[in-house]
Amino acid sequence: MNAGQQTTRRLVSRTGPSICRSCLDTLSRQPYSTAAAAAIQTEPQEALPITPPTPSPSYALHAGILVSRPPLLTRPPHPFESAYHLYQKRLNERLALPFTRYFYIKKNTPGDLEWKRKIKQRLTPARDIGRYRGYGDEAWNDEVLVGAQESEMAWQVERLLEDAERDGGEEEGKKGEGVQTVGGPKKLEREPVERPMPRVTEADEKGDVRSLGRLLQRSLYLVVKNKEGEWVFPQDRLIGKESLHNAAERVLVQSGGYNMNTWVVGNVPVGHYQHDFVPEHLAKSANPTELGLKTFFMKVRIMAGQADLKSNKLGLTDFKWLAKEEVQKTVDEKYWRSIKNMLAER
Amino acid sequence: MALRELPSRAASAVLHNSRPAVLALRPSGRRNASSEALRDVESSSSFEVPFVSDSLVKAFDPIERSKRRRLGKKPLPPSRYQFRPPKYYRGPLHPHQPPPSSDPVSREFIPGPFASPRLEQTYQSTIASDLMTLTYHHLPPGYRAPVQLQRLREWTGDSPYFKGRPLRPPRGGGGLRLLDPPRNFKNIPEITKVVVHSMVPEAQDNSAHLHVAGMIVQAITNVRAVTHKARHNVVGWGLREGKYVSVTADVEREDTFHFLSKLIDVVLPRIKEWKGVAGTTGDSSGNITFGLTPDVVAMFPEIEVNYDSYPPKMIPGCHITIQTTATNDRDARFLLQSVGLPFYGKLVD
Repeated sequence: MNAGQQTTRRLVSRTGPSICRSCLDTLSRQPYSTAAAAAIQTEPQEALPITPPTPSPSYALHAGILVSRPPLLTRPPHPFESAYHLYQKRLNERLALPFTRYFYIKKNTPGDLEWKRKIKQRLTPARDIGRYRGYGDEAWNDEVLVGAQESEMAWQVERLLEDAERDGGEEEGKKGEGVQTVGGPKKLEREPVERPMPRVTEADEKGDVRSLGRLLQRSLYLVVKNKEGEWVFPQDRLIGKESLHNAAERVLVQSGGYNMNTWVVGNVPVGHYQHDFVPEHLAKSANPTELGLKTFFMKVRIMAGQADLKSNKLGLTDFKWLAKEEVQKTVDEKYWRSIKNMLAER
Repeated sequence: MALRELPSRAASAVLHNSRPAVLALRPSGRRNASSEALRDVESSSSFEVPFVSDSLVKAFDPIERSKRRRLGKKPLPPSRYQFRPPKYYRGPLHPHQPPPSSDPVSREFIPGPFASPRLEQTYQSTIASDLMTLTYHHLPPGYRAPVQLQRLREWTGDSPYFKGRPLRPPRGGGGLRLLDPPRNFKNIPEITKVVVHSMVPEAQDNSAHLHVAGMIVQAITNVRAVTHKARHNVVGWGLREGKYVSVTADVEREDTFHFLSKLIDVVLPRIKEWKGVAGTTGDSSGNITFGLTPDVVAMFPEIEVNYDSYPPKMIPGCHITIQTTATNDRDARFLLQSVGLPFYGKLVD
């Protein structure tokens, strides 16, 4: 270590215990010129007598972990949003150049015949905007009627699947059932199209708060029940000169076990909670200079696995995976006020 | 006046003190940041439909209704004047001004957005906050950033023309680099634009190459391609000045996310023994470029679905530039890595 940094460190250490280690590092990274200037200015203070260190009132440092499972699904669109998107899709059908059919579909192939049948039914190349005519005398009739399903995502998905499953001949067959000849075209057998998984899972229906397969469109946070029976985020006291990042990794292992594939995001905390001991507790405690505890929360993402409290060393008895508003109902009011801003809305 | 008001004031003061407790519980009109803003702005939503009976809704057929209305009447004369926006912009003083490009009648209007892309939602819900946490640098309270010295040079000398002249750029080429402001919630890097560029020098002899390249770039990006001429003669590359040699497409807004998610989730994982994007790429101001070979371009789902429609051996490769709001390559690489683009080799910032 060089002389300039030494000086700054010494200066800063004399200012008092209210500066954290990372701040101290930042301050000591000043250019030499400013550090030297500061040293010159405070030269007279160097003569002050050095008092023996006395334990000043302080807070115990805790590292907490905010384990979250990010949303896996897109959010449900607002009705206005989906109506707007449908409007834009229909507008596009009217304004865009016509679909270049011969580039994509060869003439006189089964695909070509299928295209002709289907375009007669739905009038547009787009398959998810309903029956819509962008040109002609009735082009003005482009409004969606009351109670129409066209703008809803579920309806559009159904239409896309229907289009993939059928070849467009069914409706015609239905109309002319009596006229159909015996030697008519054979019905095309198609593989059933794989349907998308439901957005609501089994865990949602059961209300299983321990499952990670719940509320797929929201962030879920791990909340645990500690020795005192309070619902909090997992946390533990820092040991020695442990950094917050290392402590977070330790707390992860000691609370949730090894069965979680996790990632501690960055080296800085995302929030903090301060707990002041009541005077009665202070009077009884062995360390009266410790006024309370400050918990700094590190952000952790869970990629796979599940929490397992069987062999936890923090005395935890239960856990839940909760969305933001459920966390509010579960935790203490004062605790909620300090943690609410680090939880994502979605 | 004041005297006349006095009794009422006294009464109100008394009333104020003896206010029943019920009033305190009454919902106040005051708006807090936490209260739902919309509820205060308007009580009724425009999405609400006035009640109509089911039978009326089912029976309503706009086309039938208009036919009935026109029955037995003379049709209205076709309108004499239908507005068409001017084809050319003839300056701000011309009486015939084109409508803004956001107007559907404008010639420049492009419909959209058609959906809220999954990648964009992931960015907003997950990636942005993680990047904020990853790149946040804590400064202690009371810290004052060192004063930024003037990065441009003064004009020194006794020429009277130096007065008021704009400052000179620094010595050497390259110009000024972007400043890295401290990270906060307003300057989290995000993807702004993707430029897909395909150069086909063979197009100088046979224009079919350019047409195919244009079709392919349009098909994979969903954006109209723009062609470019060679600006100089370059013998080594076989370029002749003024000949069309390349096509580009500027992919913006919603298309960016669709294109990137297609590229990252479908195309890149299918490349055999692909190491990733070179770590040395980047223009040191947050834009990352990499290239795709013709056989990779052919793996885009839009090309694959009718691969036979494109002339054989004419499918071009392309360069893809991802533009971000990051001010250095390191942050841009962080962003693209979190989106799912791998980097390999020595990382140069």
